[in-house]
Amino acid sequence: MVDAAPWWAVVTAPVLLAAFALCAIGYDAVLAAREAARPIRMTTPARPLLEVPRLLVSQPRRLPAPDALLWRTGVITVPVAAVLSTAVIPFGHVVVADLPVGVVWFNAMEVLTWAGLWMAGWGPNAVFSLVGGYRYVAQGLAYELPLMFALMTPAIRAQSLRVGDIAAAQSQVWFAVWMPVAFVVYLAGVLAFSFLGPFSYPVGQDIAGGLLGEASGVDRLLLSAGRWLLLAAGSAMAVPLFLGGGAGPVLPAWTWSAIKTLAVLALLVWVRRRLPVIRADRYVELAWVVLIPLTVLQALVPALVVLGGGR
Amino acid sequence: MSGLIATISLLGLALAGVGVLYGAAWWLRTTGVPIAARPFGAGLEPAEHAVSRFHVRWYPVTMLFLAFDMEMVFMYPWVRVISAVGPGAVIEMFTFLAVLLAGVVYAWREGALRWT
Amino acid sequence: MDLTAVLLKAVAARPRVLVTTLPGATPVRLAAERHLRSRDLPRAVTPADADVLLVAGTHDPGLEAALERLWQDMPAPRFRAHAASAGDVAAAIETACSHLADPSEQRAHERGGRSLPGEDQGGHDAPDHASPEGRAGDHSGQGGGGMAMPAGLPMAAQGPDRDGLMLDQLHVALGPLLADWPEGLILRLTLQGDVIQRAELSLPAPRRPPSAVPFWTEPWARAAAGEQVHAAEAARRRAAGHLDSMGRFLAVAGWQAAATTARRLRDELLGGAGAASVRPAAERFARQVGRSRTLSWLTRGLGRLSSADAVAAGIRGPAARADGDVPARYRLWLTAALEDLDRLEDRRLLDPAREEPPRGRLGGPPSPSTGLAGALPRLLEGAELGAARLIVASLDPDPDEWVAQPVESAHG
Repeated sequence: MVDAAPWWAVVTAPVLLAAFALCAIGYDAVLAAREAARPIRMTTPARPLLEVPRLLVSQPRRLPAPDALLWRTGVITVPVAAVLSTAVIPFGHVVVADLPVGVVWFNAMEVLTWAGLWMAGWGPNAVFSLVGGYRYVAQGLAYELPLMFALMTPAIRAQSLRVGDIAAAQSQVWFAVWMPVAFVVYLAGVLAFSFLGPFSYPVGQDIAGGLLGEASGVDRLLLSAGRWLLLAAGSAMAVPLFLGGGAGPVLPAWTWSAIKTLAVLALLVWVRRRLPVIRADRYVELAWVVLIPLTVLQALVPALVVLGGGR
Repeated sequence: MSGLIATISLLGLALAGVGVLYGAAWWLRTTGVPIAARPFGAGLEPAEHAVSRFHVRWYPVTMLFLAFDMEMVFMYPWVRVISAVGPGAVIEMFTFLAVLLAGVVYAWREGALRWT
Repeated sequence: MDLTAVLLKAVAARPRVLVTTLPGATPVRLAAERHLRSRDLPRAVTPADADVLLVAGTHDPGLEAALERLWQDMPAPRFRAHAASAGDVAAAIETACSHLADPSEQRAHERGGRSLPGEDQGGHDAPDHASPEGRAGDHSGQGGGGMAMPAGLPMAAQGPDRDGLMLDQLHVALGPLLADWPEGLILRLTLQGDVIQRAELSLPAPRRPPSAVPFWTEPWARAAAGEQVHAAEAARRRAAGHLDSMGRFLAVAGWQAAATTARRLRDELLGGAGAASVRPAAERFARQVGRSRTLSWLTRGLGRLSSADAVAAGIRGPAARADGDVPARYRLWLTAALEDLDRLEDRRLLDPAREEPPRGRLGGPPSPSTGLAGALPRLLEGAELGAARLIVASLDPDPDEWVAQPVESAHG
């Protein structure tokens, strides 16, 4: 069972989230170095972090008639939503806020990025940014419903929206094993809301960086960091939803949470580099015609199990 | 610590972190005088303001999405009462979903999911 | 202690480089790409994200204004580096890094960058962002219909769309200086949403005096001039050319890993690697990309160009033979590149009349790339912005051919 929140969990959660995000960035840098046939040294995983000082010393830019308030609000929303989503994710036996509607909370925080990224696209008053912002909304229309069904499926089996209960309901077998469709769709959704890899459509190279194209300085730092924080939060959430939470032999629960989170992160970072960008005008059709019916059927399975008395 | 206080502290912490970053940049930046830039136009000047009534060609999808999304809100409380209500809960929910999916198939055949 | 100076050292350790290639400077671009890749210096896509503006190639009056625009949009720390030839790239980057690390220079020269020619900021004097008054003024401008011009720019005007509705139109140009784009090519687009209503093409004018022979057709030009060139050299150049096109196409498609592989293979070939060392990796790459269901699902049906239309447009090369959409064209590049790898030992002499360069047979203006560019406006109308970029990348005209001398005069 998950313990009530000690005060230090509030501080630890964002630190852990950042640590996971850094691991993902480091692994990504190693993969990139291997692709480019660069020698992999001790410093290779840390090199992307040079972006931080680079963006901190950057001179401010002023564009013609930007909507600065909207822009900045959007930019800040992305990393803040990522941090807030960790409130309900148990790490081992500890959670910041074991809300009875934890799944809904996570879902809501992830949907905040819709508003944030659209505003970040509109704010600079630049065509490619604007297109990028709308691209994210179009992508959202495609990934969101399958993702919601995927979030719902474990909750149906546990008959609870409390994330701790869902993790506890997997004492015999992980949900990932008998809810594979929901698991895969959830992972795709994580990549989609962190707009990385195949889902980096809103920041595509083809529209000159899209909604990142005009961002410089701290604004850019927050948006870029927000992507990796969202990825880390999504990976951490996959553990209680589908991989049995902190359950595991010998080692303490928090180590199992960490190991499983890192494994999911590694998988997502690896996948991110293996696929081209999926344009929303193709993905919408796939999502609505294939993924939604599949995830609905997947949700039917645990519902029937519950009726069958598998409590 | 109650859930509400914990989440509000988390929000405060996140915002403080953001504030620290902006403060650090304000302190460390090479110059505070902003550069008067133009939105990127591949080397050309912008012809007009970009903010406009953007033609959203996937508008029908948003309508479809709203219909589905409303339904998802019903599904959250439903999750908790499946075994209490019994088979009726599952039959009703999935019949409802089937109706919605029939609507999706209709919209798909009408071409609402394609816009290019 | 000056912390900013310390951080500037970090900037100099990994600056983002905005590579702008002038038409005719393909060897410099290749050297720059190779150098940046091996040193792990990421490329910037827009000036907002760039620390170094690397101008590759010799002075081009037609693009001077565009370069200046990009430079003026770059926030400090920044440095403008120039590499006229492939050998200059490493030194230019080195110089840029040392200048980026110099705090007094970085604090000083951006003050000069502040003034802009003919700049009217619409009374926005607040240093960091538009003042509240400024923004309120913008909104009244939107309703006022053309009288108020916030920041000196008009609001979007309306025009009929394909369904006859009156909708806002945006005018945006792709090119001349865009990442993974045929440099110098300008497509002026009228957009509604992100869908292209109309596309107007303009190409860079031939240089006077004309620039050197295009890099990708150089063996053919030398053979046409009477020099003895081996077929092996032509095959090597053509395979590398196709891989270069693949690299650009995959970068536009957002498949960075595959784009890097294509460019690495290209550089190995140009570096003189033997077939035995390149072949296995090239085959793996061709299999991975050519058989990728995702990539073909994403590009299927885009930019359909029949052989007859292509020939009528003056296209002579693989784009005409592919006779189909984007996947047909990139698959043809892949097979052609693999076939050429079999001929890296071919000691026969190159017959420029029998073998074609990467973009089709030379001879007579218009050049093959002019034909490829000419086909674009018709293919792009009605396409979404992302699809349009993929179509351009799948035809991949070579800007060098526009500014170079026509090949016949090479006879003399």
